[in-house]
Amino acid sequence: MSIGSLIATGFSTVLTPTGIFLMFVGVAVGIVFGALPGLSATMAIALFLPVTYAMASADAMTLLMALFIGAISGGLISAILLRIPGTPSSVATCFDGHPLVAKGQAAKALGVGVVFSFLGTIFSTILLMFLSPQIAKVAINFGPYEFFSIAIFSLTMIATLSSGNMVKGIIAGVVGFMFSTVGTDSIESVQRFTFNSTDLKGGFDMLAVMVGLFAVGEIIAAAETSHHKNEEVVTQPSMKGIKGFGFTMKEFWSQGWNAVRSAFIGMGIGILPGIGGGTSNMLAYTVAKNSDKHPEEFGTGRIDGVVASETANNATIGGAMVPLLTLGIPGDTTTAMLLGALTLHNLTPGPLLFENQAPVVYGIFAAMLISSVIMLFMEFFGLRVFVKLLSIPKYILLPCIFVLCTIGAYNLKNNMSQVIACILFGLIGFAFKKFEIPSTPFILGFILGPLAEQNYRRGLMRTSGNFVPFLTSPISAVFLGIALVVILLAATKPLRQKRKAARQAAK
Amino acid sequence: MSKQKLSFQKCKDLILGCVLLALSIAYTILARQIKTRPKMVPSYANSQIIPTLLGILLAILSVCLIVQGIRKLKADGDVESKKMSRVDLLSIVLTFAAMCVYILILPTLGFMLSTMIFLFAQITILAPKEKRNYLLFAIIAVVFTIIVFIAFRIGLSQMLPRGPLEALVGY
Repeated sequence: MSIGSLIATGFSTVLTPTGIFLMFVGVAVGIVFGALPGLSATMAIALFLPVTYAMASADAMTLLMALFIGAISGGLISAILLRIPGTPSSVATCFDGHPLVAKGQAAKALGVGVVFSFLGTIFSTILLMFLSPQIAKVAINFGPYEFFSIAIFSLTMIATLSSGNMVKGIIAGVVGFMFSTVGTDSIESVQRFTFNSTDLKGGFDMLAVMVGLFAVGEIIAAAETSHHKNEEVVTQPSMKGIKGFGFTMKEFWSQGWNAVRSAFIGMGIGILPGIGGGTSNMLAYTVAKNSDKHPEEFGTGRIDGVVASETANNATIGGAMVPLLTLGIPGDTTTAMLLGALTLHNLTPGPLLFENQAPVVYGIFAAMLISSVIMLFMEFFGLRVFVKLLSIPKYILLPCIFVLCTIGAYNLKNNMSQVIACILFGLIGFAFKKFEIPSTPFILGFILGPLAEQNYRRGLMRTSGNFVPFLTSPISAVFLGIALVVILLAATKPLRQKRKAARQAAK
Repeated sequence: MSKQKLSFQKCKDLILGCVLLALSIAYTILARQIKTRPKMVPSYANSQIIPTLLGILLAILSVCLIVQGIRKLKADGDVESKKMSRVDLLSIVLTFAAMCVYILILPTLGFMLSTMIFLFAQITILAPKEKRNYLLFAIIAVVFTIIVFIAFRIGLSQMLPRGPLEALVGY
């Protein structure tokens, strides 16, 4: 099939009455989750997974993609109006977004944020549509060596880059990997660490682990601060005398280069595992600031700052979908959730998905495009409603979310075993927070661990115990090489900093 | 070393390192006891190999963390110690207890009854004292439960734990 007809198939899969309804719901709920500080895109998808159990796979993915796009963009509302980023993806939006509000230009700040969120998503989705089939074509020839190396590469990137402390990052990854070894081994079909319990035979369920770690852990952590008084004052933006999206065409065109550059930064960072929207918005902001003629004006309310941050974080969505769909490798926790969703619907992400399930894949692309259009209008015209929702107190919200988590976990096996697992992982998530261990490497260790292990063992069985082919297969060698360099760079960082300090002191 | 009191903040890494070291040793011992099928899968690719490597790796990392922790202890300087107040600790313990009680009563009391009780209790635990409005909390608990029940059990026809209230409405 030509790409044109595939795209047409995609749109026709999504543009059904159910599909359109699901996208509206998904985008609206996503924006709320993004806007409320403490709730994230990952949590939105986790909570809505049980809703999708009974749906057709195309409908399910449509809903989840709409949630994803809404949630990443929704963060800008609280970033601009409250100066609290709704999600880590919109941290840099606060820097210039809030000063604009202080200057009385709230509508302009929001308008710019919404429009460039939209453009960022569209840009990255279109790139994704043309890039991923090509990557899938290459990846279809990958064997155990390549998959092992890509898994190890991704794990290394995540463990070293996702936190300030490399040792803790790697520990989190290794512990996650260890949890994945519980259950029946798929090569030798023997029991590992099951202690003869039938509930453990199938291993820990990916969704129970993620819901526990991110949602339940978050709720327990919120219990600590829920008694503290922090009244947030929400400024209702004045819409009087605002035409269109609150900014002029001249202002729009002046952001052209900034937006394109930020979109490429966001897309590139999204493709790389381990560094998601949380980093891309900061990086794009810094680049925009440093390449500007008046960097000192940043932070005082320049729309350039909002444009850079919001274009980049939404462009990261398209980027993050590339390794997920083509290789089955999630780069962050949100895409890990989506991987869980795909598996739940018997879709195995990877190069074969493009051959076997092309309508679903192109349906996902179409859902991303249409959802961003819905997001554009909903966020702008429904803004007042979303701002109202920001004032729902957390002590009501969190218990309700916990109930939804419980339903989701219960429905995995229709018994209590996964609910109990969910709470246990919630405790682990809380302990991780207290000991400052990042939880993203844990999740990816848990997901990528089996991929690394099985391909390692299959590879060795193929070569009767010889490891050399892992190093001589070119693609595998490149990935392992980069992983090694990343580890060495991260490990010697303190040493290099010391030397630099010594040199500066000598001067 | 200063005579500063040893706070949790300061010896956090040390404690964590020791716990992880113990866990890694236990894990490695268990890993060596996994039954293998030597006739089917050669020893270099059996089901013990990766767990063993992981156990050793975690042990090494724990030692690194212990070293980091000791260095931190020796380095003087104020670590901002955010002391947990008693109210905070109590609300964490109560929250966790409420969750545990909830999953214990779910199978017998059924989804509707236990969820209503849980929501009311949990909202009360989390709400600041001056904002406790029991009537409002009770209404939220009942209304939210009913909406969720209708959406999931009736709308999406998914299974939920059954109890007296479910029997009453015939689902």
